[in-house]
Amino acid sequence: MSWETVVGLEVHVQLLTATKMFCACSAKFGDPPNTNVCPVCLGLPGALPVPNEQAVRLAVRAAFALGCTVHPRSIFARKNYFYPDLPKGYQISQFEEPLATGGALEVVSPERGPITVRIKRLHVEEDAAKSFHDRVPGMTAVDFNRSGVPLVEIVSEPDLRSPQEARAYLTTLKQVLRYVDVSDCNMEEGSLRVDANLSIRPAGSSELRTRTEVKNMNSFSGVERALTFERDRQLAATERGEAIEQRTMLFDAASGEVRPTRSKEESHDYRYFPEPDIPPLVLSESWLGAERAELPELPAAKRERFESRYGLTRYEAGVLTAEREQADLYEMAVAKGGSPKSVATWMMNEVDRLQAVYQRVSAPVFKLPSRLSSAEVFVTAIAAVSQSVEAGDLNRAGGRQLLEEIAAKPERLVESLTAGEPRAIAVRLAKLLGILQVSDTGEIDGWVRETLAAHPAEVARYRAGETRLLGFLVGQVLKRSKGKADPKLVNAALITALNS
Amino acid sequence: MGVTRKDVEKIAQLAELAVDDAAARELEQQLSRILDYVAQLAEVRDDAGTAGDARAARLRPDVLAPDPLSRAPQQFAPGFKDGLFTVPRLGELDRGDDVP
Amino acid sequence: MTDARAAAKAAAARIAACEAKGTHAFLAWSEQALLAEAERLAANTAAAAGPLAGEAVAVKDVIAEATFPTTCGSKILEGWRSPFEATAIRRLRQAGAMVAGKTNCDEFAMGSSTEYSSYGPTRNPVDPSRVPGGSSGGSAAAVAASAVTMALGSETGGSVRHPAAFCGVVGIKPTYGRVSRYGLVAFGSSLDQIGTLGRDVASAARLLAVISGRDERDATTLDRDPLPLPGPAPASLSGTVVGVPREYFPDGLHAGIRAASDRALARLRDLGAEVREVSLPHTKYAVPTYYIVAPAEASSNLARYDGVRYGLRADGGVADVRPLYRATRGRGFGAEVRRRILLGTYVLSAGYYDAYYRQAQRVREAIRADFARVFASGVHALFTPTTPTPAFRLGENLADPLAMYLSDVYVCTANLAWVPALSLPIGRDQGLPVGGQLIGPMEGEPAIVRIAQALERALDRTAEVR
Repeated sequence: MSWETVVGLEVHVQLLTATKMFCACSAKFGDPPNTNVCPVCLGLPGALPVPNEQAVRLAVRAAFALGCTVHPRSIFARKNYFYPDLPKGYQISQFEEPLATGGALEVVSPERGPITVRIKRLHVEEDAAKSFHDRVPGMTAVDFNRSGVPLVEIVSEPDLRSPQEARAYLTTLKQVLRYVDVSDCNMEEGSLRVDANLSIRPAGSSELRTRTEVKNMNSFSGVERALTFERDRQLAATERGEAIEQRTMLFDAASGEVRPTRSKEESHDYRYFPEPDIPPLVLSESWLGAERAELPELPAAKRERFESRYGLTRYEAGVLTAEREQADLYEMAVAKGGSPKSVATWMMNEVDRLQAVYQRVSAPVFKLPSRLSSAEVFVTAIAAVSQSVEAGDLNRAGGRQLLEEIAAKPERLVESLTAGEPRAIAVRLAKLLGILQVSDTGEIDGWVRETLAAHPAEVARYRAGETRLLGFLVGQVLKRSKGKADPKLVNAALITALNS
Repeated sequence: MGVTRKDVEKIAQLAELAVDDAAARELEQQLSRILDYVAQLAEVRDDAGTAGDARAARLRPDVLAPDPLSRAPQQFAPGFKDGLFTVPRLGELDRGDDVP
Repeated sequence: MTDARAAAKAAAARIAACEAKGTHAFLAWSEQALLAEAERLAANTAAAAGPLAGEAVAVKDVIAEATFPTTCGSKILEGWRSPFEATAIRRLRQAGAMVAGKTNCDEFAMGSSTEYSSYGPTRNPVDPSRVPGGSSGGSAAAVAASAVTMALGSETGGSVRHPAAFCGVVGIKPTYGRVSRYGLVAFGSSLDQIGTLGRDVASAARLLAVISGRDERDATTLDRDPLPLPGPAPASLSGTVVGVPREYFPDGLHAGIRAASDRALARLRDLGAEVREVSLPHTKYAVPTYYIVAPAEASSNLARYDGVRYGLRADGGVADVRPLYRATRGRGFGAEVRRRILLGTYVLSAGYYDAYYRQAQRVREAIRADFARVFASGVHALFTPTTPTPAFRLGENLADPLAMYLSDVYVCTANLAWVPALSLPIGRDQGLPVGGQLIGPMEGEPAIVRIAQALERALDRTAEVR
């Protein structure tokens, strides 16, 4: 009997707003505990919730980005239960009439290739406070800074078929939500949380069997591990003839195990009813139309456009469009005159050096030239390096060195901007630094002679047949030239010298 | 529509309200009576009540403007330590019970 | 305004006199606090020129205010000093009023006699062996005893009009959303409104105007400017159509109530109003509807009282948080509150929600539609008795909760339908005050205030308070 795994995911993401969902306290993460609190998010007697317009806007944007139908009229509802991190004894969420339903996310499954995962619903709600059970001995300690932060809950249909697919779904979802500036989706910081539902069934069947709910996963890899464990557990139990009990399971990252909670699952009776303190959420057609129109280009579309417009491979386009900010920088650099392929190579291969430059030019202390943003300065550096290396003014090593120099002293780049075009800028800077590539065959021959003289043993071994020592010798020549020699010319000169 | 002792216990649990034996007995009776009384609403079957809520929520701009507390949390919290509200530890964690 | 200090001292003396008689209208007040209010007022020229300048206003203890505790008549909030204030309190101070103190009420506003207060009942100043009505009994008694001229109360199912009628003063419940609920401790959110009481219609209406108007901190407030201050009483009601719903005048209606109502209707006719019989067919379902919706919302609104962040926390070395919740709430809530929380939890619970809560909301819509239909037919206001009986004796209705609930039969309809309603004294029955009620259409406060002022003047005396 072969089995198939059925997984659905419930994801909660914190929205990128300045204030909380129902009060005007700061929603910022990381402030001293219980300093971003007010009567509303503390649940004081007499306090009332008032919905945050920007939170609604971001939720709608998320819904459109996920292809959902946004309902012009939706209702807030109370979800009633007692827990120390729930100040009112209920959470304001949405129940029977949520903001959005019926979307889909295209995901690349490691096993099945491109698949469509249907989104069942998306709704807005408020976050609970943060509880700490082991900070004060014998006590549960609570920080209400997080209480009331806006969340969007995204529920998928059980369309995923493996733990790996689940992970791919999360990665894609994160990318899409970051693209539209709705959330950071950072699991480690708590701005993205996942609960999973998993069941198994005979392969090819369409029934939905008893599922378990898996919670307490704190990273994407944790999700994959937890679901792998749970799937295996269910498979083993089923093959032993045991029935699967509907339980809540908690993942223990340390052991990699998923364990059932000890009490028998008595499903919570949340006694949902429409929130009487908030009238229905009504969104006008024109407002919705404007939000839909302003939706940024989504990752899949951008990736395809990069492939066709810039002649990039699927892989290259994928890497460069992984984050929207990076994709935008790429396009800016190409617009500045860098060749698409060359800029792509530099951005993909020199991440650390580029990161260093970016950090320096974005730092508040760095004095930007007037009318230029740090992004513009940054992409000028990329374009400059890319163009000058392509033209042969610098070799690759020289290009890397140039980036390092720019990171170390970005003012020099700024000074060189007067040279005009990026290539000219790079040349001026390289001249200043003395790292222009040397193509003078005379000089190169000189270095070749010196190198061969310094390594007689290797020369002899090469001539005896160990031709792979050429690489070592090329490296030595380049070193001797302080990296400035054109490697192609060095290669040719060495071969000539060695064979003579 | 009888409310049983078990019903009273179940709703007291949902409402996190301690109810002693004597009170539970009284409540069984009183709640049954009240529920019998309110059950007459089932008679209303006409299509009344389809108007729905015609209001639209007025939303708040995403601008920092908290209603300031005239006293800080530690001045009114029944338990407070190291900047955090404290309560006796959630026993269900130790028992590995379900969390909402 | 002459002298805030003198006004404060005079108010303190009147409150002391009222309390010395054992009325127990107040849970918290002091001359010192009143003098502090006077100082604050004297230093604020804008407030000192306001429409309530120098008025000492009593405030029901379910409204958050910074000087005194806000106990809601409950042990679970004993000593609770709110770190924020209600919008209504800010507005009345801005208008020059001084907070006279906090008044007694049924616990969490749940009750019709103020006997459910955990701090002892308030006595009706007209007859101290009787209840003042509820749940805003303390505020009504304070006005009736002339301790103050005006007071704030709250309404969920008639809790301002009911005690106003029992004590012989005026009480107004505004249109739902007219007054901000920010700072009003929630009981039944879709019903709650802060209401006003006064020795005459103009006082109650003036206080209402001052606290009314949109509030960005309450999403359910109407998008409206504050109500205008009341003008002079109209000399004639010619052109005004007053409806008399037959369901409010059953055959078995208390004779004294009927007599006073007939007299009031006669006065209205004398003033030139056309009196017309109308029907609100779903009236009989109002009390059962109310006793599903209000407890349901209350069960949710009172879940925050868990001893975690403020208020009572049961001690006795409880080592686990859930038993702590149960002990705190078991100890902190009185019997009526507990009853309603459990009732509310029940009607919202799985398997019962549709039959009870959802059905109640449907019936509520029907009740609202009854009113809308009548007002659309050319009726400007409805006249009804406020209560089915005059004030009953202390202890008389405590054995049977249901009997207590039925006292709300004529008042809870307006809360369910969101329409404004006003009770004014229309006479006496064997020395006990009788109240008559005017109900208006949505946002119809100016109309019912106008009619009430005319009627008040036409009847011999209004609040017979000494």
